[in-house]
Formats: sequence, structure tokens, C-alpha cells
Amino acid sequence: MKFDRRTFLTTSLGLAAGASAGAVLNRAKFHVTRRPPRSRVAVLKAESYSPNLEAILHSGLELFQLGVQGKTVLLKPNLVDYIPGSHINTHPLLVAAAVECFRRLGAKSVVVGEGPGHQRDTQLVLLESSFDEELRQLKVPFVDLNRDELVPTRMLATYTGIQRLWLPRTVLEADFLVSMPNVKTHHWSGVTLSMKNMFGVVPGAKYGWPKNILHWKGIQESILDVCATVPVHFVIADAIVAMEGNGPLNGHPRPLNRIVLADDPVAADATCARLMGLDPARITHIRMGAQFLGNLSMERVEQLAEAVCEPVSPFETVPEFWHLRLAGASHRHS
Amino acid sequence: MHETQQLNHACVQQLIDRQLPEGGWPFTPDRKQSAIEPTALALLALPSNSLGEREAAIRFLLRAQNSNGSWPAFIGDDEDGCGFTGLVLYALNRRCVQAMITDRAVHWLVRTRGWESHWLWKWKFRTSDRHVRFDPDKFGWPWVPETLSWVVPTAYALLALRHTSKTKQKDLLRFRVRRGVEMLYDRICPEGGWNAGNGVVYGTPLAPHPDATAIALLALLRERPNDLITTSLDWLERRTESCFSPWTLAWTILALDAFGQPTGRLTNRLCTVVDPRVVNDCATLAIVSLALRCAEESNAFRVTHEI
Repeated sequence: MKFDRRTFLTTSLGLAAGASAGAVLNRAKFHVTRRPPRSRVAVLKAESYSPNLEAILHSGLELFQLGVQGKTVLLKPNLVDYIPGSHINTHPLLVAAAVECFRRLGAKSVVVGEGPGHQRDTQLVLLESSFDEELRQLKVPFVDLNRDELVPTRMLATYTGIQRLWLPRTVLEADFLVSMPNVKTHHWSGVTLSMKNMFGVVPGAKYGWPKNILHWKGIQESILDVCATVPVHFVIADAIVAMEGNGPLNGHPRPLNRIVLADDPVAADATCARLMGLDPARITHIRMGAQFLGNLSMERVEQLAEAVCEPVSPFETVPEFWHLRLAGASHRHS
Repeated sequence: MHETQQLNHACVQQLIDRQLPEGGWPFTPDRKQSAIEPTALALLALPSNSLGEREAAIRFLLRAQNSNGSWPAFIGDDEDGCGFTGLVLYALNRRCVQAMITDRAVHWLVRTRGWESHWLWKWKFRTSDRHVRFDPDKFGWPWVPETLSWVVPTAYALLALRHTSKTKQKDLLRFRVRRGVEMLYDRICPEGGWNAGNGVVYGTPLAPHPDATAIALLALLRERPNDLITTSLDWLERRTESCFSPWTLAWTILALDAFGQPTGRLTNRLCTVVDPRVVNDCATLAIVSLALRCAEESNAFRVTHEI
């Protein structure tokens, strides 16, 4: 590698900027504490996307005794785009299973809502990814969060410096919000799990497609601010077929055959990261989120189902995130 | 009456029924917050015999304009301006609202630019942040001030500025239009067409989106025919062969029609998938109405002269 004066200067400046950004980020800027004394996680085995998912999910949800009777439940899947053959969205069968389960648990209403980050035609994504068909069959309403009525909301963490965000009324009025990510690596944030999935509640009609201001103000910081302001009450993560490599759009499918349930988004994301062979403590928004949004330490997380097994080899990431892999894990260079 | 005319009539009737007392439209009829994109599209879609509704929409848009000349994304929004400003200006120009108000909008547009044009960010994108392939010298318009340029707000701004003749800032306007056109060409996807604005990330080509492609093509209508436009038109035609979404079909029809391509099959399909009572989104209703009007040889985006 050529290491000339220009490269040296650029690298030094980059390191200095990175160090100072890290110092700034590490300063606590949250005005709310949601971290419970203990969190609960259940890792469920699910071999494929089949009609059997509802039974698996229902048995898993029963472990938590959620108390959603009479509540308005908002399911927030990760719907990005439709690319034939790619596994980039939360699977519609898992979302359908969740709808049925929450209805069985006595929810007053169940709504599915999402605001895709790049694709403005949400209906196109729904139609082509078979969501539309599933939702129609279940007669469950879908709200395009990019185009909902908006309410000004004071931020409960200010890592980005943003004091106020316009948020969809549907999100603010839901009693019980379930983040349903598809487990993926992400070329800007390392991973995209239940916390990063909350970018989808930020409305495109105000902030654009993509929601560039969140990237501009810092992705890790934005994840913390959004999750502090919009509490995630429960997580159902689709890790049946996950994605590794150049996610969130152009990675490769990686079957894990698991669904991860949790009553805490930090514990959920830490568990998913471990399943991916990545160290959650090295993922900035998970580590920082553990100060006030949930539990990262395994001692404070009760495993209700099977134990978390690390994969034979950690998930591939783009080079910038190779440092995330768990200590001792081997690394495959593609 | 032809099927397309009947359907268009039903779409217009739905739009009229959903207009809020203040003159604007919400995105969905269960909401009461006027939003700028559906209102601008509805203003373009309302026919001349809906004069009262048109005038109410114009009055609403004039009232909603920010003091800096831009428009907010919705009523109550912060006053720094949004990426739909070009679309509103285009709609008002089409309705011949030529006054101080549109001059202020032009003034805002020619001074608002994607932040990649700033020297500091240019330096960043040339040295440390090179995973997205683009040339920061070629910039357009952002969704939100002080962020990067993206395809749709740039295309909307180009549509507006290309149809603005009366301005004191002709040189600046020409410069911004040229840069905006260059930005669109720079951000094109390798297979043709556009998505939100990233053609290649981490060396991987990203897929274009049909609606962004159609809007970008409409903004490039006055450009000399070239391979990039032809490839994008071809891609758009192929992509929508199996598409059933009203929003995408409607934008595609408007773009293909503007470039003189046949749209009969797509219009027939649009007629089969749209029930105006069921289409919840007012912006979609408006754009469907505009697309159906192409069958009557009227395309709101095919303007051959300066307004």
C-alpha cells in the first residue's frame, strides 16, 4: 500500500475526527431511562416460512405474558424495497402470524405500519413482496407512515442535536409498538435490527426519501434519538433467513432458522448480533443504548427459550465493520 | 363516454369530495392535515370546470407559502422549505399564477442546493467518504435544506425552473438548471433509470425505481435525445410490464406519453387496478387522473413552450 504524505494527513485527520466524534457520542444526552432491571429474550427455532409460524410465534409470545388485551398494537416490519430473489424485507408470513397472535392475545386492534426509506411507492413494495395479499386476507389495515398526519414531538435524547421531530400520529397513538426487523448487516450502521428498524417511523413526506437528515446527523446518534422518543415495547426479529455482506439491499441470504422475541430492543439486538457472530458491545448504538434503552449485559437478560449459539462463522460485513466480529471468531474474506 | 374518461371523472369527483375546507388535500381522507404534494398534484389534475375547487387550492397554496419563498411539506411544518417546492411552483405556473409569489419561489429555488456543493463536503466525498459513486460538483436540490441532493426534488425543481421565463436571475437560473441536469445524469443507475439518488454503492449497482425514473425523465424532456434517456425509457417500459401499482403506472404513462411512446396497454391496466373509492392516497388519485388524461391527448407534463 502506498503511504504518502497526503494519505498520512488524511488518515490522521480521519482518526482525530473519529476520536473526537466518539468522545462526543459517549457523553450521555438522554432525557429518559427505559432500561428495565431485567429483560427477557426468547430465541425460537423456525426452519422455514410456513403456515406453522403462527403456532411457533404464539407459543413464544405466551412465555412473556404481554398483557395486550384492549390495546392498539402497531406492528412495524422492515419493508425496504422489492428486489426479486433478495431477502431484504421482514417476511410477510411472519407479519401475518404476528397479526393473528396479537388478535388471539386480545388486542383491541392490530395495525401494520411502515415508511420505506428509499422507495416512494409503498403500494408497489406491498404488492410485489406479497404483503398486500397477506394483509388483505387478514383484513388488517396498513398505514404508510411516510404519508400519515404528523405531530411535532420533543426528542427524548439529543445525540443528533435535533430537538424536535415530526412523527406519524399512528405511531404516537399506538399503545404497544412491536419492531419486526429482518436481521441484516448494514453498510452504514454495521447491523440493522430492531433499533435501526425504527428509522421507518420517520416520515418521508417531511424528511424525504431517503431520510437523509438521519444519515447527515449521524446514523448511530439518530438511532438512539428515535428509539428514546418512540419506545419499542416488543421485538419480533425475523432471523429465519437473515442477510450478510453488503446489506441492507445487496447482501446475501444467510439462514439462521430463528425468530428472536424480546421485551427490550437493546437485549433483542444484542442477542441478534451474537447470533450473527458479532460483538454487540462493539456496535455503537447497542452499546450506547445500553445506558438508557435496555440491557446489553447477558447477566441482566433472562433467556426464556433456547440458549444463544454463535454461528460457525460470523456474518460477512463490509470492511469498515470487520472489527465487529466476536473475539476468537474466524473471518471469511469474500 | 370512454372508460378512461369515466374513470377520470370518478377520480376527480373523489378529489373534490376530499378537498379540505381550507383548500388543500391531506394524503389520506381520514386525516385533516393538508399536505403539499397531494395539493399540488390535485391542482394540476382538477379540470377547468372545477374552477371553484381550483381557486380554493390556489388560495391555499399562496397562503401556505413560507416567508422565504419556499413551501412547507404540510400545514404546521417548520418554515425552512421542502423538496416539493418545485412541484408547487410548477403547478401554480400551469395555472398561470404569475406574480410576486412565484418570483419568491424561484428566488428560493435558485439559492437552495444540495450540500455536496459545499467545499467542505466536496472534500469529504473526494477523500474519506467514497463508497457512493457520485460527482459532488454535479448537484441539484435536497428534500430538506442543508442535506444532499436527491433525484425527485431535483426533477421537481427542474420542471419548475424550466418553465419559468420571467425572472431577474436568468444567469443563475440557467446555471442551476444545467447543474441539476448534470446531477441527474451523474446519479443514473448503470442499467438506466433512477432511484432516490444512489446508482452505485460499495461497487454494487443499485436498482432503479420506476416513479423516480419517470419524474426524472419528465424533467429531462427538453434535453436533446441521448443514450441515457433512451436506456432509461427502455428500462421503464420493461419494468412496468408486470406492474400493478397505480402510482407507478400513472407516472410511467405520463413519462412515456411525454416522450411520444405508446401507453395504451398501461392505461388499460391502470383502468383495471384503480377503483377511485378504494384508492386511499389523494396524491395517487391525482396522478392517476393526470395519467388518464393522456388518452385525451392532454399531458400536464408535456409543455413545449415556456409558460
